[in-house]
Amino acid sequence: MDIKDRVLVVEDDKSIRNFFRTVLEANNYDVIMADTGTEAYSLITSRCPDVVILDLGLPDMDGMKILKNVREWSSMPVIVVSARTHERDKVEALDMGADDYITKPFGTSELLARLRTAIRHARAACLAPEGVQTGIFRSGGLVIDYDKHRVFIEEKDVGLTQNEYKIVSLLGRYAGKVLTYDFIIKEIWGPNMKTDNRILRVNMANIRRKIEKNPAQPEYIFTEVGVGYRIVDSN
Amino acid sequence: MKKKRNSLKSNCLVTAGVLGSATVVAFLLQQFVTTNTHVPLLFILAVLFVSRFTEGYVYGIVASMIAVAEVNFVFTYPYYVMNFSLTGYPLTFVVMLAVSVSVSTLTTQTKRQEEIRLEVEKEKMRGNLLRAVSHDIRTPLTSIVGSASGILDNRSILPEEKILELVEDIRDEAQWLIRIVENLLSVTRINGDNAHINTDDEIVEEIVGSAVAKFQKRFPEMGVEVLMPEEFLMVPMDGILIEQVIVNLLENSALHGKTATQTRIVVANEPGRLIVAVEDNGEGIKENVLPVIFEGSLQSREGEEYDSGRNMGIGLSVCMSIVKAHKGDMRAENKPAGGASVSFWLPMEENKSDGY
Repeated sequence: MDIKDRVLVVEDDKSIRNFFRTVLEANNYDVIMADTGTEAYSLITSRCPDVVILDLGLPDMDGMKILKNVREWSSMPVIVVSARTHERDKVEALDMGADDYITKPFGTSELLARLRTAIRHARAACLAPEGVQTGIFRSGGLVIDYDKHRVFIEEKDVGLTQNEYKIVSLLGRYAGKVLTYDFIIKEIWGPNMKTDNRILRVNMANIRRKIEKNPAQPEYIFTEVGVGYRIVDSN
Repeated sequence: MKKKRNSLKSNCLVTAGVLGSATVVAFLLQQFVTTNTHVPLLFILAVLFVSRFTEGYVYGIVASMIAVAEVNFVFTYPYYVMNFSLTGYPLTFVVMLAVSVSVSTLTTQTKRQEEIRLEVEKEKMRGNLLRAVSHDIRTPLTSIVGSASGILDNRSILPEEKILELVEDIRDEAQWLIRIVENLLSVTRINGDNAHINTDDEIVEEIVGSAVAKFQKRFPEMGVEVLMPEEFLMVPMDGILIEQVIVNLLENSALHGKTATQTRIVVANEPGRLIVAVEDNGEGIKENVLPVIFEGSLQSREGEEYDSGRNMGIGLSVCMSIVKAHKGDMRAENKPAGGASVSFWLPMEENKSDGY
């Protein structure tokens, strides 16, 4: 018998709870539920879920507060669910340490894909030492060689500049996850860089011209308008 | 509060500037012209300008008082002495005051009328939208409620494929509702604050790419081709809203193009504007619909469209209001080779695109 991943769903709406339970149990997850922030907090500490799906609009407290609390002592993956569509909310949640963000309404396939990505990242972060990335990232025709500091498309070196390579390898380290503009800028140019994201986007436009067949129909690096960038998952 | 202080500052600047230049001109003329008759006329003109280009009555009245004092003190004999016994003095004062008050009144009235006109227009758009939306929502809701209770009430006698079919209907109708709600949210983003939008420099290919990805998630069977210039274009816009416009246009092709299997986005830049066209290889748009296609009240004229509950009114009228808020425009036409082409353009600053 294999061990199921345990998912804590923090959600107060009855029919959405029902939907989560049905879909997640059918896909072989061990599901626990909380409908208030207080209950969520006690379940997080007592039952140690592998991943938390957190609705931001709870009756007793702002979901952001739970996220902040959890991040003080744990790096357990948290996926934030919200009906707020403004991209500022997404950026805030991601910068506060959420692993991913889903906006209501979402489909089951989207939910399951995000869940798998979040759990895999948490596992990989446990195994790999912090910081230095080694080995090879491969997705379709795209290869990032972390040892040689090179990026290949269909076996051909695309000739990225140093900063361009840094951006791509950073995205590769968090493949499948949206990285906000601010996060990328801080990682590449350091914390003193002004928050204008123009330089990042110009770099990204150049990267796209080197690795995508058509920059307006990207296969590898996607834009979340107003939020940031995400690279495809490795295969 | 801040705005108020700013307008106070700019009004004072206008007043001081206009009076100052009038004084300078009067001084210069004094060197060449021996009579002084032009001076009061010059200051009346100045008062007129002040009243026209400031808000309210105060500045005009203050300006006319200053002007009268200045004419008296500086430009009439005895110079640099206030003399209240000059002939015609009260008359000059009254004339200037009258000019300033009547011009201020006119200006204020025009401004107010303009505001009322804008307000009426906005109300009209809101009304149109509400009508279109209420209709658009009722049809899918009926289908959802009907299908769901159909399954609940008859689950023992319905064959499994029938149930599956009904559930698929429920899902499709709900997705249609999602589309409507997304459009409504976009509109609130524009209308929230006097049709004001926040623009940022966005890279066009990112917006197009993101819109195409969203569209293909919902309509995986439709082919999408993107043609755009090699250079990269940065255009000031609200990225989320323009993305919504492109998604709407693509979805219209998929939902209303009937025989459409392929869509194409063509991006072009002319000096000063960015043009995005969404084309398909479907049946095209009916000739009688073309002139009113952006009005959002399509279904009230089109019997057929009305019954189907699938009009493109709301999608396109939302697109139009988004593009208009960007100070751009839209057009729709049928391509000579067949299929529809709906395009919009946005203003862009020249030479900004090739700065890098």
